[in-house]
Amino acid sequence: MAFNYDKYLRLEKMPTLWCWGCGDGVILKAFIRAIDKMGISQDDVCVVSGIGCSGRFSSYVDFNTVHTTHGRTVAYATGIKLAQPDKLVVCVAGDGDALAIGGNHTIHGCRRNIDMTLLVINNFIYGLTNSQTSPTTPQGMWTVSQKAGNIDPTFDTCDLAIASGASFVARETMLEPKKLEKILIKSMQHRGFSMMEVLSNCHINLGRKNKMVSAMENLQWIDDITISKKKYDALSEEEQLNLLPLGVLKQDLEVREYCDMYDDIKAVHQGKRGKITQDDFVKKI
Amino acid sequence: MAASPMVNPGDQPVWVNTDNCKACDICVSVCPSGVLGMKYESTSTLGAMISIDHPEACIGCNECELTCPDFAIYVADKQELKAAGLSFAKLTDDAKARQEQIVANNYMSLSEQGVK
Repeated sequence: MAFNYDKYLRLEKMPTLWCWGCGDGVILKAFIRAIDKMGISQDDVCVVSGIGCSGRFSSYVDFNTVHTTHGRTVAYATGIKLAQPDKLVVCVAGDGDALAIGGNHTIHGCRRNIDMTLLVINNFIYGLTNSQTSPTTPQGMWTVSQKAGNIDPTFDTCDLAIASGASFVARETMLEPKKLEKILIKSMQHRGFSMMEVLSNCHINLGRKNKMVSAMENLQWIDDITISKKKYDALSEEEQLNLLPLGVLKQDLEVREYCDMYDDIKAVHQGKRGKITQDDFVKKI
Repeated sequence: MAASPMVNPGDQPVWVNTDNCKACDICVSVCPSGVLGMKYESTSTLGAMISIDHPEACIGCNECELTCPDFAIYVADKQELKAAGLSFAKLTDDAKARQEQIVANNYMSLSEQGVK
């Protein structure tokens, strides 16, 4: 028997409402297999999603799920994690959700280094609302809000996460589901904020107007603009310009996790220890 | 209750849940040995439906199952197939040539001619 997804799905919601060939489904399957491999009980996982095509993610899986407001996935998830620190919290957001309207929440989630996984499904466009320019839309592409070609500079999700202090940052594509599954397990096992960007296709709303009519053409384009981190590092700066590195880009095991520090605060209020001072920290400013 | 679509319907190397298939062609594009192809189907949204033309050529690489976004296609477990006295085929030049023809035929089965 093939891998049985039945146990983890809400079968009454099948088939999914995503378009034919949408990468979200591949990522959903990889996520389910990753959870299965980690051997965590379904009751110990909480999936939080926002608005957009990626927001449907939480409706299809049979875990504890919250379908929240636009861009506020990390804010809701922070509350859930602080109330139930022993649960695995996974946020799922799209590129518009996590970087545009929820940009601030993403930055401060990274900064606090709270133990959760933010899965950003980047399809380079606002797909659900019919192709408006998103922060990650490549320059020069046609969108309904910039019909003469997009002039907005492109956002790099992983650079943002590294700069704001996330302790685990990785990028993968949906072209290699087995590799995606492996890195998903790594990011969920990491204790601290892990940002996981997955490049996905939207041949319906990005591809049709940009000479990538079918899913295969769009996937080929994603394959062309990505390169493994090892090869990327060996390239000159000029060659790196239009490529995105894949793999684990940052892993920092030294930084303290937010729930641990929150326990210190609790101890202060229970009279078990003195106030927290600057001396408790190695890096003070 | 009907058997789950994820359970092998009976000693098949690869099988499809046509209720979930949206005819996106991805599984056909990733198959290395020309097992799959699309056939015209007037009741489907995109006018086509997946069909398994050469199950005997399946090498069990699992690519179609991994890249299917819609939980529609499944590949048998190697051990289970062995227990039933069957095994996956080896990749042959014939099969590779057939796959190239299927891709050139716009992912349609070779018995279906014309552009989708």
